Amino acid sequence: MNAKLGLYRKEKIYGFLFILPPLLGLLIFTLYPMIYSIYGSFTDWDGLGQMNFIGLGNFTDLWSDELFHKALFNTLFMMLGIPIGITLALLLALGLNRGVPGTTAFRVIYYVPVISSLAAVSIMWNWAYNGDYGLVNQFLDLFGISGPNWMANKYTVKPALIIMAVWKGLGYTMLLYLAALQSVSRSYYEAAELDGANGFQSFWHITWPMVRPVTFFIIVTNIIGGSQIFTEMNIMTPTGGPEYASASVVFYIWQKAFGNFQMGYASAMAVFLGVFIFVVTLIQFRMNEKQSFDVD
Amino acid sequence: MLKKKGWFTLLSLVLMVSVVLTGCGGKNNASSGGNSGSKATANAGSKDSKETKNLTFMFRGGTDEQKAYEGVVKKYEADHPNVKVKMVVTAADQYATKLKASITGNSVPDVFYFESGDLKAYVNSGVLLDLTSYVEKNPNIDLNNIWKYGVDLYRYDGTMAGQGNLYGMPKDVGPFALGYNKAMFEAAGIPLPDKDKPYTWDEFIKVAQQLTIDKDGDGKLDQFGAGFNVQWALPSFVWSNGADWLDATKTKVTIDDPKFIEALQFFTDMQLKYGITPSTEQAQTLDTYQRWMKGEMAFFPVGPWDMSTYEKLPFDYDLIPYPAGSTGKSATWTGSLGIGASAKTKHPDEAVDLINYLTASKEGMEALVKAKVQIPNLMDMAKEWAADTTTKPANKEEFLQVVNEYGRVLPGHYTYNAEWYNLFYTDIQPVLDGKVTPEEYVKAEQPKMQKLLDKAVEQEAKSKK
Repeated sequence: MNAKLGLYRKEKIYGFLFILPPLLGLLIFTLYPMIYSIYGSFTDWDGLGQMNFIGLGNFTDLWSDELFHKALFNTLFMMLGIPIGITLALLLALGLNRGVPGTTAFRVIYYVPVISSLAAVSIMWNWAYNGDYGLVNQFLDLFGISGPNWMANKYTVKPALIIMAVWKGLGYTMLLYLAALQSVSRSYYEAAELDGANGFQSFWHITWPMVRPVTFFIIVTNIIGGSQIFTEMNIMTPTGGPEYASASVVFYIWQKAFGNFQMGYASAMAVFLGVFIFVVTLIQFRMNEKQSFDVD
Repeated sequence: MLKKKGWFTLLSLVLMVSVVLTGCGGKNNASSGGNSGSKATANAGSKDSKETKNLTFMFRGGTDEQKAYEGVVKKYEADHPNVKVKMVVTAADQYATKLKASITGNSVPDVFYFESGDLKAYVNSGVLLDLTSYVEKNPNIDLNNIWKYGVDLYRYDGTMAGQGNLYGMPKDVGPFALGYNKAMFEAAGIPLPDKDKPYTWDEFIKVAQQLTIDKDGDGKLDQFGAGFNVQWALPSFVWSNGADWLDATKTKVTIDDPKFIEALQFFTDMQLKYGITPSTEQAQTLDTYQRWMKGEMAFFPVGPWDMSTYEKLPFDYDLIPYPAGSTGKSATWTGSLGIGASAKTKHPDEAVDLINYLTASKEGMEALVKAKVQIPNLMDMAKEWAADTTTKPANKEEFLQVVNEYGRVLPGHYTYNAEWYNLFYTDIQPVLDGKVTPEEYVKAEQPKMQKLLDKAVEQEAKSKK
């Protein structure tokens, strides 16, 4: 008995030792800066010198900051890409799941954008969106449509970014759905068929509920990722786009912190964004709990 | 199910945490760009009796420029065997972030580039080393032989920039002259512009209109008179019309001045009324830059950093003064980038020595000028360089005239941050599209910019405590 307990304790210690390095990393590189930035959000820190406590000053300033409102609106607007991406990815996954010839090749094709560097992808799309020589407009030209200069027009710049984001994320989402679809047991469909269900009915009553956990995962991670969108606009519209139409919250944080010596104010925005994401995620978890059911 | 959910929670927690980090996350990076220069590594060249001194040099630039600077630093190391320089280089648009992150993280590189506009903030918070005594006691440096415009950009006496102690040396000065496509003038049979007498605005429009052509008759213009990016070219028109963004005290935004409105009106008229520039939608820098390089544009601003690129152009180009507004005088922007040293460097003598080598020494300058990425900092060398008319552009003298006579620094340089100034360009698109008149625009924009400027003034006062 005693020896067994000793072994157990030993294993426990080893276990802790193994998780210690990442845990330390988390504490030093994540938790400490996080607390520091929360503290910074209550100061007028310029990123260089003294930090003076100014209470909620930064947060009240956010209320009347037009550019912040614009950036927040832009960020939310660009999340319209999430349902589009999910729909397209699911359709693609359903198609591939039927075992069309060349499935592997298609998987690779759709997955290539996912593993490409976001910076490289942004530069490439920036060329594609060029008003005069861009591939997109040349393509539209074939149908007699003269396309806009996508990145220089405040009405097209956000849709342009959404299209790119959907394209970039499609492969990843599709692969998750494909995995989920393949884990759905054939027997459910066979039973449904016996009961006389048509294709749509078996999709709606079997496939959709069975892949719900994956859908939930994708929505949560996409919203979190979407709230932090930054690289695309930083590369494609380095000044925030026409009339700030493509600036995201993180872009504005970055400008304030590293362009204008307002680290305190930038921290306040980061805290706001953190709380926003936390609340949205919490709501989603609650909603998911209510809706989830088990297939008996 | 439960198991999976726990996983979601953990994942979203990790992601959430990283969001909050975004605001100040740069700090972590600092360690990588860090101050390894101050840690003396064990005698690398052990035969050398002297201890090896390590410096970190952080800079930025295009590929040609990077190569040129790497070459010069190698040469410096060869001349100074006891100094080892570790170079940290980034793309231009990431530089400010990286530098500010390393300052925040207390690991400032020993020697680094900085924007003249950030001078006050860096001096007030003790980041920059005061170079005055080092430069004055060095017999090899003759400040009188370096552009006064450039040197003064890095002086600060605690209240006003432009005077007092020296906190940096100009890496170079970047006079943004006006170029024109010589071949295009010849093809159209138009007399070449006078290199000493600027066009009036009216004359400029007339010439440019003659050069705006639909060559193949498909209803689309293939050749444009000019291409101006509002951010870099508007100041020229505003200044030469006797207006500015700021008053003399640098505390009041003066864009509602009638002279300013007139200049902005002229700028938008070039597109909307006279049609000599590509439409605003097409006028992003990239496009006009490409059009110029393809020989489809008659007038285009030319900076010395582009000389190596333009060298390969299939047509001949040359430089002239900008068209002059109501003052009758040309004006343009002259950029500069400073090289400074960290106030906390362990080897101030070597750090300053490296700065001087890069900015004020004959050897260093010769190598950089040869790479065609900048004009010489040393005035006597510059005169010699400009006199050589066999290389493109022939009228290099214009660059020197810009620096000596009519170049200016952008208004954002004078203030603690340039947020107020940047807002002007953030909101300007409707004016360029003709949806808002210049007059309406400046009236609406002035108070917004003033508010941000007031904030910057207040911030500056605080930073001095």
